[in-house]
Amino acid sequence: MPLSSPNKISLTEQPKVDEIRENKRKRNDENNPSPLKRARELDDPANMTDSQRKPNFSALTTPNNGITRHSSPLSNNKPGAAKKLVIKNFKEKPKMPENFQQETWRKLCEAVEAIHKSCSIRYSLEELYQAVENMCSYKMSANLYEQLKLVCEAHVRTCLEQFKADNSDYEQFLKLLDFCWQAHCRQMIMIRSIFLFLDRTFVLQNSTILSIWDMGLDLFRANVISDKVVEVKTVDGLLRLIERERNGEAVNRQLLKSLLRMLSDLQIYKEAFEKKFLEATDRLYAAEGQQLMQERDVPEYLHHVDKRLNEETERLLHYLDQSTKKPLIACVEKQLIDQHLPQILNKGLDNMLQENRIGDLMLLYQLFTRVNHGQKDLCSMFAVYIKKAGRMIVINNENDPDKDKEMVQKLLDFKDKIDNIIDVCFGKSEKFVNAMKESFENFINQRQNKPAELIAKYVDSKLKAGNKEATEEELEHLLDKIMVLFRFIHGKDVFEAFYKKDLAKRLLMSKSASVDAEKSMLSKLKQECGAAFTSKLEGMFKDMDLSKDLSLALKPYMQNLDVAGLIDLTVNILTMGYWPTYTPMEVHLPPEMIRYQEIFKKFYLGKHSGRKLQWQPSLGHCVLKAQFPSANKELQVSLFQSLCLLLFNTGNVLTYEEILTATAIEESELKRTLQSLACGKPTLRVLSKKPKGRDIEDGDKFYFNEEFKHPLFRIRINQVQMKETPEENTSTTERVFHDRQYQVDAAIVRIMKTRKTLSHNLLISELFNQLKFPVKPTDLKKRIESLIDRDYMERDKDNPNNYHYVA
Amino acid sequence: MPTRRRPRSPSSDDTRAKRARVTNWSKREPVSSSSFSSKRCEAWFHEYTSPDEDEISPEGMEKFCEDIGVEPENIVMLSLAWKLKANRMGYFTAEEWAKGMKDIQCDSTEKLQQKLDYLKTLLDHPVHFKNIYRYAFDFAREKDQRSMDIDTAKAMLSLALGKHWSLYGSFHQFLEQSKYKVINKDQWCNILEFSRSVAADLSNYDEDGAWPVLLDEFVDWFKEQKKNS
Repeated sequence: MPLSSPNKISLTEQPKVDEIRENKRKRNDENNPSPLKRARELDDPANMTDSQRKPNFSALTTPNNGITRHSSPLSNNKPGAAKKLVIKNFKEKPKMPENFQQETWRKLCEAVEAIHKSCSIRYSLEELYQAVENMCSYKMSANLYEQLKLVCEAHVRTCLEQFKADNSDYEQFLKLLDFCWQAHCRQMIMIRSIFLFLDRTFVLQNSTILSIWDMGLDLFRANVISDKVVEVKTVDGLLRLIERERNGEAVNRQLLKSLLRMLSDLQIYKEAFEKKFLEATDRLYAAEGQQLMQERDVPEYLHHVDKRLNEETERLLHYLDQSTKKPLIACVEKQLIDQHLPQILNKGLDNMLQENRIGDLMLLYQLFTRVNHGQKDLCSMFAVYIKKAGRMIVINNENDPDKDKEMVQKLLDFKDKIDNIIDVCFGKSEKFVNAMKESFENFINQRQNKPAELIAKYVDSKLKAGNKEATEEELEHLLDKIMVLFRFIHGKDVFEAFYKKDLAKRLLMSKSASVDAEKSMLSKLKQECGAAFTSKLEGMFKDMDLSKDLSLALKPYMQNLDVAGLIDLTVNILTMGYWPTYTPMEVHLPPEMIRYQEIFKKFYLGKHSGRKLQWQPSLGHCVLKAQFPSANKELQVSLFQSLCLLLFNTGNVLTYEEILTATAIEESELKRTLQSLACGKPTLRVLSKKPKGRDIEDGDKFYFNEEFKHPLFRIRINQVQMKETPEENTSTTERVFHDRQYQVDAAIVRIMKTRKTLSHNLLISELFNQLKFPVKPTDLKKRIESLIDRDYMERDKDNPNNYHYVA
Repeated sequence: MPTRRRPRSPSSDDTRAKRARVTNWSKREPVSSSSFSSKRCEAWFHEYTSPDEDEISPEGMEKFCEDIGVEPENIVMLSLAWKLKANRMGYFTAEEWAKGMKDIQCDSTEKLQQKLDYLKTLLDHPVHFKNIYRYAFDFAREKDQRSMDIDTAKAMLSLALGKHWSLYGSFHQFLEQSKYKVINKDQWCNILEFSRSVAADLSNYDEDGAWPVLLDEFVDWFKEQKKNS
């Protein structure tokens, strides 16, 4: 054995080791076909002839690369052939044919060119693949790669020529480019399949070298697209296509998609296309926004914006790169919404709210949520609208009573409408709910006292008997809604005063529709304002209950006395202070009634000594038996009415003056009473008057109406409904103000008592905190001065801005 | 009665301070003619009363003014009344007289005349003047009323502030046309504060300040007048 060549020894020995390893591996492979084999099958160029390759083909095969590299031709031999190898190795080193490289390359080059020209290849793909493999094995990879690159580059260059020469319109151009690009991709895939071995060995080992596929892209980018003319033409063409689509034309989306995909693949999408595209978009929508804002009304405009946004999203879905999504949508939002926020709100919001355009408002909210400040601006304009619209409902400069009558119902409707809009359109957003509350509170208190009064009266109208328009639940629901309005009112004491007055009427005249509803309203008020607010109202209910018990006890007492004449007496004891103040009236009662009063007085004071009873004739009512020539009737009348009617027991004709002296009822009251008896509905006139007329004048004569006829037995003759005289109204209001003065005084004294010394400004601000009703600083000052004058506090001698508490 | 007690109590401090000053003064000018005599003082007092009375009534007061050569409307009389702690305008009781005259060491017309200049200087002293001004309210009001009726108030204001307060003329006009019938003590005291602290052009007037409503209304009225003219 010649020892001259140490290489040989190592060569011999090496396979031995390999052999053992190989054997082991083979045995494993029998059970478990190696991934290596499968990879080879896949890599087989023969399989690749069907050229419908995906561009990511290389990615699919890459994991196998590492393994294929190991598979040197040696390891492919069967275990039994190991000896042969040994023998071959000892033979003379096989020589490569002289022109092996040139020949093989020629073959390959021919194939590549054939691919480029899309004609059939003379050699089988298997053969070509082997050729590449061989060349690589003989360390010609670098050379091969360079040569391949040159050939490809030359081909790509020829493509460029055709674009440069092309003068057809941009669409044709794009189509050509697309065709060319598609072909290029197809060809590169094919070429890569042939040169796969090169790709897997040489390229992978050198990180600086581009894979064949990437080289193909690079060549296309460097030679075709980077050509200024081509690039500009391509991008402009694309932009023009998109513009046409935006203008409503149908365009070849496939083409757009493919070319944009190309730009992304070539990694020039961002620089070459996106920037220009966004600029164009910006320009287009800036102009469109300006123009349409002028031309269209707001809802129409909003729908257009919505349409545009949808279109752009669709565009993103169909052909634009996803990375463009954010800037593109932002651009549309900015140009179509953000830029026009104030105009949209000023021009359209009020109308939309006014006309309750739910759909449009919903859209508006959605669109505005997209941009910064959109919601905030919308919310503040929404508040402005509520204040404006609310003021229209509340403010009544002409003091038109009809308008006032409708106010509460309108407010309720308005609130419903706004609530609905917030719920449906504005996503029940907390921000909007708060803005709504604030605005309601603002406008409802712009007119002092009246809203509170009207709400109280509205409640009265709903709680009064004879109100059959609502079921229990509906009424309950309505009361809840009213409570919401009530919550906004600052002067709750005004409400209380009027509510109390009406409640008294309902209770005393037993006009209340339902005790449950009354109690429920009371508990709502209690919940809202605390027990102190309702204690008096509750006292009224208590009085009524006690009075009922009292009447039950009175009956046997009366029977024991055996009083002559059968008058059924019911007395309601009203605790002073709980009830509204009624001015006591002195009237002349018939002796029977006076006797009954005396009996009751004895009875009551016997039970509760030391109390003072004061009769309130203005609140009394009676049932009279009347004998008309036609029939006997029962008349349900007020005490005043009965006093007048009882006079007619003594004679059939009485003058106004006679009635006045006999009853001593206050004149205006008497006139109203007589009006109800003689000038009411023709069927209800139990008296007739001469001369006839609607108003009672001095010297009028009244006759017992002998022709009185009425189908019913028991007849209720209502008092001429005093439409709550202006005096009554002002007196209620005045009483409220009076109460407020005491509250202010009490608050001042309370504060001063704890603080001892306080500066004027601190005292005022503390007062504003404590007082629950609106009050002017001047009024507070007056109360302070009054307290100083009454020695509850004093001004500091040296600093007139400081007060001291005086114990 | 609290009303009477209250305005008095703080002035006790002043009296002490004054007493000290008086002694200083008497040292400086050792007894002009003769030392103070309570007897002479009492006799002097009775020159202006009917024998059985122990207070000087308005008639006596007139004579007294004549004797010391001062008009009854002269503001120095206010200063003197303050010194004597006279309770009621137009009257000096024997007690007030004896105590007050002793304080200023006067037992004769001549001595008092010499003192008049000193009494006048008190009016120029801001602290004293404030006390005299405040005293004037209780001094001048009807004793059965808590407040001073508007006519007395106008007269007293013109006496006390007429010369010093440039807006007094306007204020007087304002009172003339206003519906106020009386001035209470708080308003009275604050008129002085107002005249001292608020500039004649009202530039430093603060509408949110603690000024009584009377003065706020005056300012509103004044501005309105200015605008109209």
